[in-house]
Amino acid sequence: MKPRITFFRLTALVLLLIVGSGLMAAGEVLARERVAYRLKWLINASTAGDVFALSQGFFSREGLEVTVKAGGPERDAIRELELGYAQFGVASADQVIRALAKGAPVVVLAQLFQVNPLQWIYRADDFSLTRIQDLAGRTVGITYGGNDETIMRALLATAGMGENQVRLASVRYDYTPFFQNQVQVWPVYRNTQGIFLSDKLMAGGERVAFFDPSEYGVRFVANSVVTSQKMMRQHPQTVQQFTRALLAGWQTAMEPANETAVILAVGEHDRDTSQAVMHRQLAVTRQMIQPDPDVPVGHIDTAAWQQTEQIMIRQKLIPGPVNVIDRLKPQQTP
Amino acid sequence: MLHRRIFQFLIVYLLGIGLLFGLKLALNLSDYVIPGPIGVWHTGQAEFPRYMGDVMDTFAVAVIGQALSIMMALAVGVAGRRATWFGSFIKVAAYNVQAYPIVAIAPILFILLGDGFLTRLFIAAMICYFPLLLSVIGIMSEPVADIEHFYRVTGRLRWQLEVKIRAFENLHKLTTVVSGSATLAMAGTIVAEFIAANAGIGYSIRIALYQSDLSKILVALFIIGITLSLYQGILELLGAGLKKTWASG
Repeated sequence: MKPRITFFRLTALVLLLIVGSGLMAAGEVLARERVAYRLKWLINASTAGDVFALSQGFFSREGLEVTVKAGGPERDAIRELELGYAQFGVASADQVIRALAKGAPVVVLAQLFQVNPLQWIYRADDFSLTRIQDLAGRTVGITYGGNDETIMRALLATAGMGENQVRLASVRYDYTPFFQNQVQVWPVYRNTQGIFLSDKLMAGGERVAFFDPSEYGVRFVANSVVTSQKMMRQHPQTVQQFTRALLAGWQTAMEPANETAVILAVGEHDRDTSQAVMHRQLAVTRQMIQPDPDVPVGHIDTAAWQQTEQIMIRQKLIPGPVNVIDRLKPQQTP
Repeated sequence: MLHRRIFQFLIVYLLGIGLLFGLKLALNLSDYVIPGPIGVWHTGQAEFPRYMGDVMDTFAVAVIGQALSIMMALAVGVAGRRATWFGSFIKVAAYNVQAYPIVAIAPILFILLGDGFLTRLFIAAMICYFPLLLSVIGIMSEPVADIEHFYRVTGRLRWQLEVKIRAFENLHKLTTVVSGSATLAMAGTIVAEFIAANAGIGYSIRIALYQSDLSKILVALFIIGITLSLYQGILELLGAGLKKTWASG
């Protein structure tokens, strides 16, 4: 008789524990605030910190239930903020400035890339680019309407070069014109496409080099974290929690010791990139996220934002000043 | 017929754009998400001549692509109209090739043909050709029993006459299919320009998308729509004229 009673008591206790923990978990979920975070592009090494923050529970520890949504060419985080499809997003500086010029209520919380990964790749054995003037006579690829067009035009203007001194060629996702050497200087994201393009050319016995606009004074700001003014006003605490979790995620993801875990997190979404390539992509990404250890991850480079706005005004991409620095709202992070 | 087409297009366009403006007003959206009427008007004034040139460029490719598709679809459709092994093979091939997404094929075409006229033409023809072919096969494989029976029993039914009878009896359907395929040809050319060309309105739309400029896209859609309506109206007029001439002859 006695063992039976003990069995029932034990069973009841286990059931109570299960139900109790379930209720606690449910309570926790209910207490968590749900937000959506729209990335700028597909998930790859450029979004390492974003997916790492999610997979390692940085958001949930801040009491947030975050849905990280992959971006793409037709996705525009700023539009989604206004339409309420996302509460946070990633946008490039030119997107933010264009949106401000059209009255979008967007604010910048953090700048993920301190160095713009948009650079130009070329065959190092054919020529070298050590000055902007070295572009003269070359066929340079640009995406008309894209920010690489803006950056290239700014570079040429900086060097006092006319557009007739280089041959600008329209490019898109297909690299054939570069492989066939019809376009000699090709725009790439240095930390992602740059790696596998280098590999392909190196496999054919060719050396490559990169032309980095920031080395010539053009510091066009890339991916930054944005939210809406409404969100800032109505949910300041959520904004702080989100930014804190995200930047902590990025900081941790960029530590070399966590590389394997980061690759696993990114690899969950990016199944087409090998781990070996991802290791090298992460190494380059690290240099772009935190080139200076004294500058914290997410630091907003006000001067670079001002320069980006000035470039866009000069190229008549916006009708007039938008005072972008008024919309830079760095959050207090530990 | 022409003015009716234009009028119908204007109703659809104005309803669409009205819905967007209504949404903008109701949700208090900025001009970045949905541009205001004044912004669209100003963009229209600034971009109309350039976009008109782009649409004409696209339209020229679309018309050539459509003409090629009609010729090919008629030739293959006539050959594949019978319930033979070859007829069934053509139908299966048409269904299968139509299932391939053009965005997956476009890069291959880009490698083979470059980013110029031929790629645009090929993609336009591809998108336009298969629906046309299926319709032509459908029409041509359906006997007009009472008329054909007479010629068959008198031993005068040759394949040319059979095709002529079926075409005449289904001329209204054929005109509708050809007129409808103009939309497909135009859409095909725009898709081709969007993914693999450096000219035409599809390319301009791509640039406008990069710049998040919906005003430009609305202006482009207006010019594309009005051009297509005019073209379809002309095709319908031609179809009606052809039927009249054929009937009297």
